[in-house]
Amino acid sequence: MMQPLLSVRNLTLTYPNGYQALKGISFDVMPGEFLVIIGLSGSGKSTLLRCLNRLLEPTSGSVTFSNHDITHIQGEALREHRARIGMIFQHFNLIPRHSVLKNVLYGALGTTPTMNAMLSRFSDDATQRAHKALQVVGIPEKADIRADSLSGGQQQRVAIARALMQEPQLLLADEPVASLDPSTSNSVMSYLERINKEMNTTVICNLHFLSLVRQYATRVIALKGGEMVFEGTPQEITDEWFRTIYGDDAVEVEIR
Amino acid sequence: MKRLLAIVIDLLLGAAVGALLASVIVPALLDAGETSDVTTGLYASALGAAVFALAGIFAKASIGGVSLGIDAPEGRSIRIVSHLGWLTLAVFIVGGWIITAISPIEFFSGDGLAGAGRIFQALVTPEFDIIGEALSAMVVTIFTAFMATVIAVPISFVLSFPAARNVMSDTPLTKSIYVVLRIVLNIMRSMEPIIWAIVFSVWVGIGPFAGMLALVVHTVASLTKQYSEQIEDVNSGPIEAISATGASRIQVLWFAIVPQCVIPFLSFTIYRWDINVRMATIIGFVGGGGIGTLLTQYQGLAKYNEVGTLVILITAVVWILDVMSARVREALR
Repeated sequence: MMQPLLSVRNLTLTYPNGYQALKGISFDVMPGEFLVIIGLSGSGKSTLLRCLNRLLEPTSGSVTFSNHDITHIQGEALREHRARIGMIFQHFNLIPRHSVLKNVLYGALGTTPTMNAMLSRFSDDATQRAHKALQVVGIPEKADIRADSLSGGQQQRVAIARALMQEPQLLLADEPVASLDPSTSNSVMSYLERINKEMNTTVICNLHFLSLVRQYATRVIALKGGEMVFEGTPQEITDEWFRTIYGDDAVEVEIR
Repeated sequence: MKRLLAIVIDLLLGAAVGALLASVIVPALLDAGETSDVTTGLYASALGAAVFALAGIFAKASIGGVSLGIDAPEGRSIRIVSHLGWLTLAVFIVGGWIITAISPIEFFSGDGLAGAGRIFQALVTPEFDIIGEALSAMVVTIFTAFMATVIAVPISFVLSFPAARNVMSDTPLTKSIYVVLRIVLNIMRSMEPIIWAIVFSVWVGIGPFAGMLALVVHTVASLTKQYSEQIEDVNSGPIEAISATGASRIQVLWFAIVPQCVIPFLSFTIYRWDINVRMATIIGFVGGGGIGTLLTQYQGLAKYNEVGTLVILITAVVWILDVMSARVREALR
């Protein structure tokens, strides 16, 4: 039997202000899966993703990644853990005034000595891999352009290239298309799909649009108020489940 | 807590009104000169404070309460509070007039006007023989300001990170470093550069070095505050993104925070140099060297034509720097 890449058990997170964002979440992720997490804004999706690469520290429960308990690791171990997991964000989070190539190279920060990085001394190997990553996302010619001069879709592709620089075992995507228009959204999602299928990178992605979920997800979990209310395949999300997850007034919107 | 503060305000106002009446206004009316009795003043303040406190209890509202927004008096209460308010204002204005020795007679006296006329005439007929001396003193002032800024910038840059709340909010230890640093910087900034100049002119001797050190202290305090507020303002997205790559703390500061701050930092720095040139002039009055020192020398000798030259030069330089720094800061935006 295959070992799960990631195991989450009874995970809770309570913010310092007392807000309970996660109330006991448990699930496994197998290598190669494209897992989509759905749920309303505030349901805990973003918090959950940030517990996986430990941008946030869970209050209780456990997260196991490649058989290592990473729930409360600190320091060097935490840096190494984060370096193994790529992450992309709704607002891309590039460094605006820096070139596209530099932004991609920042994906190698976790494995570059601090001083070398600060003096912009990245290894030749890293620079080559950065160019290659830009090729994968189809914008090799933009390497020397300032990141903030690109369109939203292109910026998200740079962010994907930055994540690829980490040669990640797992790619987290937090609402990767929520600030993009429909056609760009599909293009960005198809890059994630290619990375998932061709490089066999496991993907966990937060999404809003069910049409995208049906197209790309191999498995879906749904959160509501910090609890897991659904786990299954995209086909199993019936109208009834939809209303349970999104509330009775919700109407499904198509995105193509 | 607010109620306590309101009571303190009322007591202080009452005490001030009592003291002003007994020690300033009444003696002036009786033409008793400035030899008023301290004990009388103390009794009067106690009485004033007591009256204001009693009025507050009686009206169930007070000036302190209203000004802090915790009392909303009606009817008779509002009349009591507003009468007390007007009384306080009137006593403050009359008392203030006496204390600052305002005297229309002296302002419009023939002798006084003639003296002012002589000085103004001298100022507008500047003595340009000293222009060489004046220019070299101006160069000293400009470079005092420049060196103070250059030395203060790296210090402020380093200090601004531990002085930024978002950088230091991780553990109780870092939080307390942040609080202590903020308090020290606030104290440093509250002390005017002119006071630092007096301290340093004793320490290293009168001259530009003392002036520069005084400016360094004040510039570090001001720039660190401005820089750190900028750091607190940065977009947290890139911080998350860079942290997520496994970057170290220093790398996160350098790659996620610094790029977002460089332009505003530059803008603050140029403005601070501009301010420092003005301050360097003032600091010269108390021994900080440069054109300020020259100005006090000629003013002490009552050579107002020479003073006129210096005033024109200072005005010109300050104005040019002001325009230039505004232009550069505009372009940086």
